Amino acid sequence: MSELVSDIQKILGETGLVLGWAATGAGGVAAPERFHTAEEAEAAIFDSTCVHNLAVHLPRLKARAVGIVAKACDARSIVELIAEHEIDRELVKVIAVTCPEMLDVKTIWRRHGYGAVIEDDGGELRVNGELVDRAAYTQAKCLGCEERPSASISASVRLQLSEDFQIMNVEERRTFWREQFSRCIRCHACREACPMCYCRDVCIMQTSDPHWTGGGINAGEAEMMQMIRVNHLAGRCTACGECERACPVGIPLMLLMEEQNRAIYEMFDYRAGVDPEAKPPLLTFDIKGDGWGEE
Amino acid sequence: MKFISSDAIPELLEALSASSVVWAPRELTGSGGTVMFERWRTGDPIDLEHFSSLSAKDVVLPRTEKLFGYTYAFGGGLGGAFGNGAPAGEQLVIEPAEPAPPAVLFGARACDAKALDVLDALFNNPEGEAYNDPQYQSRRKSLTVITLACTTCDEACFCSSFGNGTSEKAGSDIIVYPVEGGLLAEAVSSRGEALLAEPIFEESEQAPPPLAETARIEGLERLEEKLPRLFDDMDFWQEISERCTSCGFCTYGCPTCYCFNIHDEMRSDREGERQRSWDACMFALYTQETSGHNPRPTLAHRYRNRINHKFSYYPENQGKILCTGCGRCIRGCPAGLDIRDVLRAALEEAPREP
Repeated sequence: MSELVSDIQKILGETGLVLGWAATGAGGVAAPERFHTAEEAEAAIFDSTCVHNLAVHLPRLKARAVGIVAKACDARSIVELIAEHEIDRELVKVIAVTCPEMLDVKTIWRRHGYGAVIEDDGGELRVNGELVDRAAYTQAKCLGCEERPSASISASVRLQLSEDFQIMNVEERRTFWREQFSRCIRCHACREACPMCYCRDVCIMQTSDPHWTGGGINAGEAEMMQMIRVNHLAGRCTACGECERACPVGIPLMLLMEEQNRAIYEMFDYRAGVDPEAKPPLLTFDIKGDGWGEE
Repeated sequence: MKFISSDAIPELLEALSASSVVWAPRELTGSGGTVMFERWRTGDPIDLEHFSSLSAKDVVLPRTEKLFGYTYAFGGGLGGAFGNGAPAGEQLVIEPAEPAPPAVLFGARACDAKALDVLDALFNNPEGEAYNDPQYQSRRKSLTVITLACTTCDEACFCSSFGNGTSEKAGSDIIVYPVEGGLLAEAVSSRGEALLAEPIFEESEQAPPPLAETARIEGLERLEEKLPRLFDDMDFWQEISERCTSCGFCTYGCPTCYCFNIHDEMRSDREGERQRSWDACMFALYTQETSGHNPRPTLAHRYRNRINHKFSYYPENQGKILCTGCGRCIRGCPAGLDIRDVLRAALEEAPREP
């Protein structure tokens, strides 16, 4: 029995529910699973296809004790949820796992067909038996991971995109985003996959009174919606990358988030989800406090 | 059968776009391999290899469409209590939506085309006989569907569970088959026949290639009876939906989901536009009532509705299952939910004792 399984079984004794993964997805990849019994927990796995951030479910389960298997970036979301008093530290038991670089399963399947068999021994990556370029199929967030500096960083397509973006002027950026947002269908997958977007059914984007955003599905509304979402995540985004992974039309949302996270770090010396005791900068009204760059 | 070489396809699309809006699948730049049906313009590449991330339903059910424009003009109004609702001394002027131009959908799959046939049962009926939707109907009637037959499929495909699977012809005007150097073309409607008479298509003796056979779920038609008996089993729906994070991708990517919202977009307090946009039963706001009551208060309730609508209510009311097995909701689900697991579980589940 793996160490993970016995850890989950141990936590189950305390909580009766553990969020983890089992190899029940297409082609044998991981899919999120809820374990209630020691027997169910035997199916638990952790590998480079466990891409989902399960912390998204915690605010919905806040009234009960729950165990959760978490990668380092998922753990940051949990910490931030605790810092915002959204979940109770006493009720959440975290089973930390050391992650390999996580795979971009969506892109692998878009190129090789949905359900193509992925074999990852930690070194070589094979899809349907064929050796493929690992860096091309690694989650962008892992390539820039501060918790685990990566060897394949230079091959990142995403970082290239990010660098291209850095040298754009405001007008070019607007054109870039207009084009990106023109394919947004407002399915809200970005919001629903985000552990910090816990307003759920009372989100400003979907209230009818007041009617903050229009009802149309077009680039203008999508841009407005994303600008609101980005702003609401200022100093709260833990860079787990779930919004971008969840986006069914491939909008590089983390470019916006990374840019803002950088600004927040420079302004407030704050990284979300690092210290559960910390006060998120935009949740305070301490205008004369430290970190404003004022003397 | 007719034949068109790969090189001649842009020429065909060019000719078609002289009189129609042409929709074709294309991989969008900087999108991580997202393939979508887009308006084709001269020089645009097309992608006939990968399966599109979203269906082609925009062609008949646009994401957002204008129903009419309105303006309050001075003179003639009777006041709010009488008739047209315009303030006293003003007149409400309605500007109808322009009729949709003829369109060609190129490179849809059998599941996309069949979805049009399924939607026709609700939206496109003869005048006076049953409901018909003027906007849908005008688009549908001027639409030519050229369907790309599937010689390969992936693990998410399950169209073989429904009727004719990959060899389904419903909803199509022409079926094209990928062969060496181009496409074989077969007309399945008189409109298709007329188009294939154009000289760009050559005569061919070639036989079409064998089509793919997808995974199959037996007995889906039994769900129409079965699901109502599971309706009150909230434990079942709770368990089935717990992986779901409640986004709307499964409905927005779906070729048959047609739910919509009608909303006014005001340009000023005097003028604006009434629009119809995609909406999704997976959103809480979809059933939120003005009183504050929501008849589908939880995700489990909403998920139950989605499955029931597709496999019970629509078959009961329209005689057709509201799913064609395209697999887009499976491929695109951020939470890794597979509707087939749900359907199998529902088929196996015995209703619990009350």
